[in-house]
Amino acid sequence: MILQVDNLHFGYGHQPVLKGASLTLEQGQVGIVLGKNGCGKTTLFKNILGIEKPQKGAISFGGKDLMRLRRNERAKCIAYVPQHIHFGDLSVFDSVLMGRVSYFGMKAGQEDYQIVESILRDMGLLPFAGRSAEALSGGEKQKIAIARAMAQEPKLMIFDEPTGNLDIANEQLIIRHARDLAREKGISILSSLHDLNQALAFGDKFFFMKDGSVKYEGGPEIFTPEMLEDIFDVALQIRQIDSKMVVF
Amino acid sequence: MDSLKTLQKKNRRNQSLIVWMLIAVLAMGLLCLFVGVSNMGFSDGVNVLLGGGTNAQKRILLNIRLPRVLAAIIAGAGLSVAGLMMQTCLSNAMASPSTLGVSNGAVFGANLSIIAFAGGFLSTGNNLSAFDVGANPYATSALAFVFATASVLLILGLCTVRSFSPNVVVLSGMAIGAVWTALTTILQFYATDVGLSAAVVWSFGDLGRATYETDILMAVAVSVGFVFFYTMRWKYNALLAGEATAKTMGVNVSGLRFVTLLLSSVITAVCVSFLGVIGFVGIICPHVTKKLLGHDHRFTLPVSCLMGSLLLLLADTASRSLGGGSALPVGAITSLLGAPFFIAIIFGKKEGHHH
Repeated sequence: MILQVDNLHFGYGHQPVLKGASLTLEQGQVGIVLGKNGCGKTTLFKNILGIEKPQKGAISFGGKDLMRLRRNERAKCIAYVPQHIHFGDLSVFDSVLMGRVSYFGMKAGQEDYQIVESILRDMGLLPFAGRSAEALSGGEKQKIAIARAMAQEPKLMIFDEPTGNLDIANEQLIIRHARDLAREKGISILSSLHDLNQALAFGDKFFFMKDGSVKYEGGPEIFTPEMLEDIFDVALQIRQIDSKMVVF
Repeated sequence: MDSLKTLQKKNRRNQSLIVWMLIAVLAMGLLCLFVGVSNMGFSDGVNVLLGGGTNAQKRILLNIRLPRVLAAIIAGAGLSVAGLMMQTCLSNAMASPSTLGVSNGAVFGANLSIIAFAGGFLSTGNNLSAFDVGANPYATSALAFVFATASVLLILGLCTVRSFSPNVVVLSGMAIGAVWTALTTILQFYATDVGLSAAVVWSFGDLGRATYETDILMAVAVSVGFVFFYTMRWKYNALLAGEATAKTMGVNVSGLRFVTLLLSSVITAVCVSFLGVIGFVGIICPHVTKKLLGHDHRFTLPVSCLMGSLLLLLADTASRSLGGGSALPVGAITSLLGAPFFIAIIFGKKEGHHH
């Protein structure tokens, strides 16, 4: 088990957001977090990433207590691809090199440059290396953010709404790319997604959140009309088409 | 591959820009040594530097002009880099070295020293025998420094306890700054004409107050700050990606913010306490640098320092040449010189590195 979140509580001011959220994820698994807006998906991610500090509960990562790890050790375990991506106006190369900061601290070394170059080459981003990352299109920025996260050499990557700002072609591209990472490099993925069918096509394990906790957790078999209605308050149907499950 | 080469070329170009600016600052500093109201020509100046010249010439060059030129270089670099760091840490383009109320605190401290402790009150009259206590640069500077630093510590302390979001820091800085200004106004209301004019003249920035001792103190503050900032250059670059993302990349954002704001404010406090208020350098220079080079702190840190030195040297030379015998307040000149250039840059077409 790579990630185990246990009974997490967190709130802003007197407003509780997470009320005992728990989940587990295996190595190389793609976990999808689903739920209505405001159910606490992003807040859950922020707590796992160490952006916010949980008020109660435990997070263990590969058997270690995540909250007792130093910040730069944590950065080597878990990387983040945020919903809104910024790079200042650094070049693509320097933006990805940024992901190495927890390794080099003060001054990037030869090894860091080589790792960044090979990531850029693998992702077909090398022709952009000298361009300003901020000036590229949404899909390219997303790829650069993934490359930056890759440079952290993490065991878990967290995507917050990775397809939010993308057209359908880029959406597919990014999702496939993330999935390949899990399959080929054994990196676990935790991602929120809005589209249930995309989630079914992409994920191994699903976490349905409601009111600040994970109410249903499991494989595609947990998709039932009753469960979906409980989570989303809307009647949905599930059909098998060519042995694939489709929600509509 | 070609794209990587262009990037390396750009980095080399930026590095050579740093070298050229350093040469420009040194050349300008040397030139400034030879400008002044006394009838000392260029050859006299060179003569003194080579160990010759009359006693008067030596005194003018080594005791008056050299400490002043050094002060321009050090304080210019310090105020500019402090401004850059404030803008980065608070993600606010309007932030300046004085955002945490440093200058207002310093002005209040100086006013207190001059008006209250030198007997410049209406009730006690102009106590001219005690006046040199207030005019003693160290007494006044010390009090200015105490209040400037107190102001910073108060705000940083409050923010550490409550919340360390950039907006809270900026707003509380404004509030505390307003308190100092109000207290200064009240002091000045009760001041005699002599006390008042001494206090007001103090608040005009003047590089002529610099001595070798003050230069050394300022140099220590600025160097300690710069070494820390430059060591952390990649962490500041990470902040450009946003606070949350920087945290996930291993940056201790709150700690970095706290130390950076503290060091920037101390640099500003030291410079302002010795030289008076020199406005605008900390806004103009970082912005011009960012407009020309982009936001990469590997380059903006050294270049904005050098830009600040250059502006203050130019402004000081102008102030000494235009005043007709007595130097005009350098703070006014930096704004007069810098503002048109600043506006030209802001409205100029080149947008950093965007193509």
